[in-house]
Amino acid sequence: MKAPAKSARRRLLASRLVPYLLFQALIVVATVMGLRLLQPSDPEDSALSGFSLREDGLIRPVTLPHFTSSRYSVADPPFYASTFTYRSADAAAGWSVYLPRFSNAVEVAVNGVVVLDSRRDANANRPDRNTPQIAAIPASLLHEGANEITVRLFVWGPLKGFLDTVYVGPDAALRPAFETRTLLFVTLPVVFSAWQAILAVILAIMWLMRRHEPVYGVLAAAMVLGVVQAFAPPPVPPVTVSRLAAVLLASAPIESALIVMFAVLFFGWRWPRYGTLLFVPGILVFAVGLLGGPPLPRILFLVLGIPTVGLCLFLMACITATAVVRRQDAASFTIGCAVTIVLVCWIQDILTVLEIATNDRIFVSRLSYSAMLVAIGAGLTWRFARALNQVDSFAGQLVTRVREAEERLKASFAREEERARAAALANERTRLMRDLHDGLGGQLVSIVALSERGNEGATIADAARAALKDLRLVIDSMDDIGGDLMLALGSWRERATAQLRPHDIALDWRVATPQGLPLHPELRPWHVIQIIRILDEAVTNAVKHAQARHVAVTIETRDGSDRPYGVISVADDGRGFALAGNSTAAGTGQTARGLRNMRSRAARCGAMLDLSSDASGTRVQLQLPQRFPDSDMAAG
Amino acid sequence: MTEQGETGEAITILLVEDDAPTCWRLQDALVKAGYEVRSAGTLAEARQALGGGAPRVLLTDLRLPDGHGIELIREMRQRFPDSEIMVISALGDEESVISAITVGATGYLLKDAFPTDIATTVRDLVAGHSPISASIARFIVRRTQGAAQNSAEQPPGPALNTARLTPREIDILWGIAKGFSYAEIASHLGLSKQTVPGHIKNIYRKLEVHTRSEAVFEAVQQGLIKL
Repeated sequence: MKAPAKSARRRLLASRLVPYLLFQALIVVATVMGLRLLQPSDPEDSALSGFSLREDGLIRPVTLPHFTSSRYSVADPPFYASTFTYRSADAAAGWSVYLPRFSNAVEVAVNGVVVLDSRRDANANRPDRNTPQIAAIPASLLHEGANEITVRLFVWGPLKGFLDTVYVGPDAALRPAFETRTLLFVTLPVVFSAWQAILAVILAIMWLMRRHEPVYGVLAAAMVLGVVQAFAPPPVPPVTVSRLAAVLLASAPIESALIVMFAVLFFGWRWPRYGTLLFVPGILVFAVGLLGGPPLPRILFLVLGIPTVGLCLFLMACITATAVVRRQDAASFTIGCAVTIVLVCWIQDILTVLEIATNDRIFVSRLSYSAMLVAIGAGLTWRFARALNQVDSFAGQLVTRVREAEERLKASFAREEERARAAALANERTRLMRDLHDGLGGQLVSIVALSERGNEGATIADAARAALKDLRLVIDSMDDIGGDLMLALGSWRERATAQLRPHDIALDWRVATPQGLPLHPELRPWHVIQIIRILDEAVTNAVKHAQARHVAVTIETRDGSDRPYGVISVADDGRGFALAGNSTAAGTGQTARGLRNMRSRAARCGAMLDLSSDASGTRVQLQLPQRFPDSDMAAG
Repeated sequence: MTEQGETGEAITILLVEDDAPTCWRLQDALVKAGYEVRSAGTLAEARQALGGGAPRVLLTDLRLPDGHGIELIREMRQRFPDSEIMVISALGDEESVISAITVGATGYLLKDAFPTDIATTVRDLVAGHSPISASIARFIVRRTQGAAQNSAEQPPGPALNTARLTPREIDILWGIAKGFSYAEIASHLGLSKQTVPGHIKNIYRKLEVHTRSEAVFEAVQQGLIKL
């Protein structure tokens, strides 16, 4: 089972790796050809290659381009001398001397007068750049026929000194070649460094905002180092003050180690602890540079730094190849191609240093490194755009999901509401039925009964009136009174007054406070109807049985433990009646039934009913609850 | 005993009620109190009666065999602005009373009211005291609350413009709705007892929507219609 799986994986690996490697080989060829094309052509008409070299006291003829031995002192530099022919016919154009490549610094004199000293421009002497120099020869220095030109080549090791062919001729003929080289080897690196600086800022911001992604921070550090390296002016011997700048020249190994770290993190792998060893050579160069003066760091850079860069590039190539095989995405592929180009350029530079390749000592690693940064920038942009797309689609999905959930919720809410409404309607209908049955039904039945017996006009009228009154009460209780029982009592006062007036009973209405009763938001119509019926019963008793002359209704608010509660009392000045204690008297007739009803109604809405009756009158006191109950406490 | 107006003539009442026993009952009570009563059973009869001259008071039921009492009230209010109009209602429910008030009625009479109460109500009305019940006052004040809270969502029931009522008038309506007497309301609000009926008359007038165009104007004022 395991073996086929392994071979399948191997086949997959091969099917992915082989095309990639072939493509990289293609890129190697393309890079080599590109580097050939990069060799700028110089105006060979003005070439001056036959020189006599005085070195270490010896004079010998040499042909430029020429390497001299490495040295660590700028005293008594190699001295190149030659002659050129000046034709005054060309004088109008002005003549110049043009040095396409030299290492490390030159001082050019024409007829014994110095016209060019590259040591004044620190950047021109950097061996890693291929800075050309041009200088106009003042016309007064030149004379018809043969003129002498001498070049002093300052070399600081460990690299060998190098002087490319020197060109002397009309400025117009030399200038284009100089411009081309300047564009390639001076302007382009500056542009790349600027690009690097911008990337460094962007990446640093990204890292600051997303600390959990150190990949951005690592790359930003690498870029910052590269930018500082590009812009820090290198010290020109014999000056030794700017140690830090000298040290920064050796930043390449640290940079390359950082880039390897970036690649590992970028492809989502863990940075191995031993990976830190990759930084050791760079830090070593750095430390040595800080402690000992030049040329030690330069030597160390050559023997430690440059191989480290090569190792890092090789590791990068391996990492990206693995990533390409595993991920098959555009980012790893782009970075892989860029690494291949840089690696080719590095090999080319090594071959140049070792004088195996003859390319007039043009170093291209730095330039191609910048190309890699462009690729990395593209990779990061690609990744960022993809992340944005993912966020977009995630947001879209989220919106859809939320909408779906909302729909479902709405539907279930509507269902719930429908059910609640149906339940409320059913409850309300039940309540209405019971209320109508309690009052109106019985009264209508008694009207029918009275009518059938005939001759009971006045009684029928009373019963019908009671029925109407009850109907009004039921209708009235349907109205929303917003928890203010006073609004229901207001209507009841009118009905009670109308009921008492024919009997010549005065209704004495006393409300303790203008507000009347506390508000009860939980008050429901069925509470109201029970309370009003209790009061109705009390008034009816006063009319029918007590032969009262006054009925006093008192409404007051008392402070409860939790919140205030109302107390309504109905007192008459009638004869009174025997209470439950003398149950045989009270247990008979309408009065007794009325009292029972009152008690059960009060119990239903959580109120307390207090009855007292004696010869001076009857008093019904209804103490309302602090909070009305939600459900019927004594349903039935 | 004969009830007389300011001119000394007997006060004429046009009673429009299609149910014969109810009509007799009301007529008996009013005639006994000394009013001159003409009765009509239908809208057509009522219009015919109005052709013969303006009564001082119109008492009308709302549901009539050949139409609605509202039409009669509106016509009466337009033709005889000085007359008093009351609606006769079996239950005194807000639906019928308020819709009558908005076309110009200034009170209502319960069909089963005791004869003395019937006469008293009419006498008060002629004297300039527009009666208003607690439940009607409650309906109006609840409506003013509703308008203040959410004008877009009108509660069910007849349309009612409460925007022109003053805070004082609304206070008075609250008092009535809670069952306080005019005297109690006056003392709570620091008013003279005599001024309360005048306020109530004003309330009626303000609730009345005179014409169709005015109804539209009111609706625009209240933001119910957007032009």
